[in-house]
Amino acid sequence: MWIEKFQIKKTNRVAALYPTTKLWIVFFYSVCSLLLSTVNIMGIPLLIIPWFLVLPILATLSGVISQFLKAMKKAAIIAIFIFLVQTFIIPGGDLLFHFGILYIYSDGLHTGVSLSVSILNIAGAFVWLFQTTEMKELSRALEDKGMNYKASYILLSTMQMIDLMGRNSKIIMNAQRARGVETQGNLFVRAKAFFPSMVPLILSAIISSDDRALALSSKGFEIKCKKTHILNVEYSGNETLAMVICIIITSIVAIGRVLLWILP
Amino acid sequence: MDTAIEFKDVTYCYPLTKTPAVKNLSFKIEKGKFYGVIGANGSGKTTLCALMRGFAPDFYKGELSGQVLVNGKSTIDYENGELALRIGYVFQNPFNQISGVKDSVFEEIAYGLENLGVEPLEIEERVVTIMEKTDILHLAEKNPFELSGGQQQRVALAAILVLGPDIFVIDEPTSQLDPEGTESIFEIIKAMKKEQKTIILVEHKVDLLAESADEILVMANGELIKKGSTQEVLSDIFLMEQGIQLPQMAILSNKLKQLGIGLPVTPITEAQATEVLQKIIKKKEGIQ
Amino acid sequence: MTEKKKHSIKDDFTLLALLIIPVAVAVNFVGGQLASLLKLPFYLDTIGTIFGAMLCGPWVGAVIGLVTNLVTGIANPVNFAFIPVNVACGLVTGYLSRRNMFSTWWRWLIAMILMAATSIITAAPIIVLVYGGVTGGGTSIVTATLMATGTNIWLSVMGSDGIFTVIDRIISFFISYFVIKVVPERTVIKFGCGENFIKKK
Repeated sequence: MWIEKFQIKKTNRVAALYPTTKLWIVFFYSVCSLLLSTVNIMGIPLLIIPWFLVLPILATLSGVISQFLKAMKKAAIIAIFIFLVQTFIIPGGDLLFHFGILYIYSDGLHTGVSLSVSILNIAGAFVWLFQTTEMKELSRALEDKGMNYKASYILLSTMQMIDLMGRNSKIIMNAQRARGVETQGNLFVRAKAFFPSMVPLILSAIISSDDRALALSSKGFEIKCKKTHILNVEYSGNETLAMVICIIITSIVAIGRVLLWILP
Repeated sequence: MDTAIEFKDVTYCYPLTKTPAVKNLSFKIEKGKFYGVIGANGSGKTTLCALMRGFAPDFYKGELSGQVLVNGKSTIDYENGELALRIGYVFQNPFNQISGVKDSVFEEIAYGLENLGVEPLEIEERVVTIMEKTDILHLAEKNPFELSGGQQQRVALAAILVLGPDIFVIDEPTSQLDPEGTESIFEIIKAMKKEQKTIILVEHKVDLLAESADEILVMANGELIKKGSTQEVLSDIFLMEQGIQLPQMAILSNKLKQLGIGLPVTPITEAQATEVLQKIIKKKEGIQ
Repeated sequence: MTEKKKHSIKDDFTLLALLIIPVAVAVNFVGGQLASLLKLPFYLDTIGTIFGAMLCGPWVGAVIGLVTNLVTGIANPVNFAFIPVNVACGLVTGYLSRRNMFSTWWRWLIAMILMAATSIITAAPIIVLVYGGVTGGGTSIVTATLMATGTNIWLSVMGSDGIFTVIDRIISFFISYFVIKVVPERTVIKFGCGENFIKKK
């Protein structure tokens, strides 16, 4: 009954899919995005724009839509930036639009749409994956599929280490500020602040790794045997259905793409 | 009594150094006994621990001459990590002993058993038992990084205890803890002693050792200068000249002696001192 | 050196190396964060890869690079595309360290040129082919301006990204080198390539 407390329980049926199944969904989704980005309508890959709607729908079905939209903001800013640069800078093809000093040519618009929406598509798929899957579930599932337990250790330890060192870096930086290290001012001043904040952080981490190696060894890390886990990641029962849907959609997209090539 | 660990003429040098960290060590650690190890800083106590656990030379590299036998087998002949099953190892810094891959104390303590491939149901049983013994069951769902030093050290001890080795090498577990934390660690160690575990504890707090250890090993400049029963070693005033801290009661008795009041035995614990002094006083009263 | 030095990849992944990987990834992450917090014009997000590779060799360095971009990719999936850049950085730095290329000043010079060249050569195709020249990162504005003046896209990317990459690598290398020199020798010696950083007596 104690072990029960440390299981990850999900009520949502999409979110509860097995982690590697969700990895496959991301894979198929990315393949479809790339296929669709090669289809041009009026010289522009318009199909990938409505295709992106699949992601918000998936996120809504998984019950993570608000977090999804929040996380996509960063990717969206990059996508918009890339779109604008490509659209206004690359000459070539027909002149589509002209206002003052702004010229839009078809080639630029094509690259702009294709790149920015593809980035949103692939980024979005991963955002969905990691908002419905904790790292420990994913690494547990991958370990079950044959990944070395040491790789699993690296992944999980990395997540905690980033958290820990992120907090430590703030503490060190505040301490350095209190000692009079300037963190504002011209470039040179700011660059100088980088060293006293960074060096102690790395140093203490390397030196403590000695102790941590001994502690890990004392916990039987190096013993060669089949490792067990109190965390269980179970199949929800809908995995086959999800895979079938993915394969059908991908097939339709692929066949459609091929037909467009063959048909005049 | 059976021998748990035996040192046969051991001398060991860390890499890049020419002076040995420990030299000419030959002694036996008997099963089921509690050994205290004392000595000044840099006298080779931690190296002694590392040698027992096989971390020297396996992890630290360096040069070893002589043999360290654990249950009759040389530490260098043990397979990678196999010694973890024989010897539990706990050390100073509780923070560095956290595995860094688990979100809760319960999972942290279970981690070692997962590494050994123990079935989940058995893990649960063993973890709960150990957590009750070490009085940390109420912390089960907390993040190990968010505990106090004393709590973290108890978790570190529990995480090793749960593996069930017969021998424990514990290197200054209380040096970073407050008196309360220290006491709780000693309670656990005393309970381990009752379970017939072999314990080797490096500890500065001699007053605490005086109360619970069976034997004391004294290290100085990399050598074992004295080994004997707790009573014998900790009442040896000559050790004070070597810079070794003795229990307060032994120091008191020495001062009394200088004042001309010799005690029949040198007491090393409060209880003993009370008893001895009571006898003397009663005797005096009887004469009068 | 009569003893033959044959390295098996598996031997590189000692327990200590395994523990350094998460530390190095976190250093990459924190370095990048701190650089953007201080509004520095560099990413400085490969310090961990560089010191990890210097201490543990090319394969551990490559893993550090891979894991860094996988993990930071969770928050910013643009990073997934740059996995080859960080992996190559780890491989090359680690290889240089194994060949003891960080011992004298002229070797440093060669090493740094090679490290910077690796980054430019691996990053440019990704920036051009995957992102069409601009990634939205710090140097994108420069690249975009160059492109707007009609400069060839490859030249624009290599030109703007190149200079910053060279300086970035120099800073990252010196921080790593300084750290390794400050760490006690008895700790350094335990790492695969540690020997090369210890003063011969």
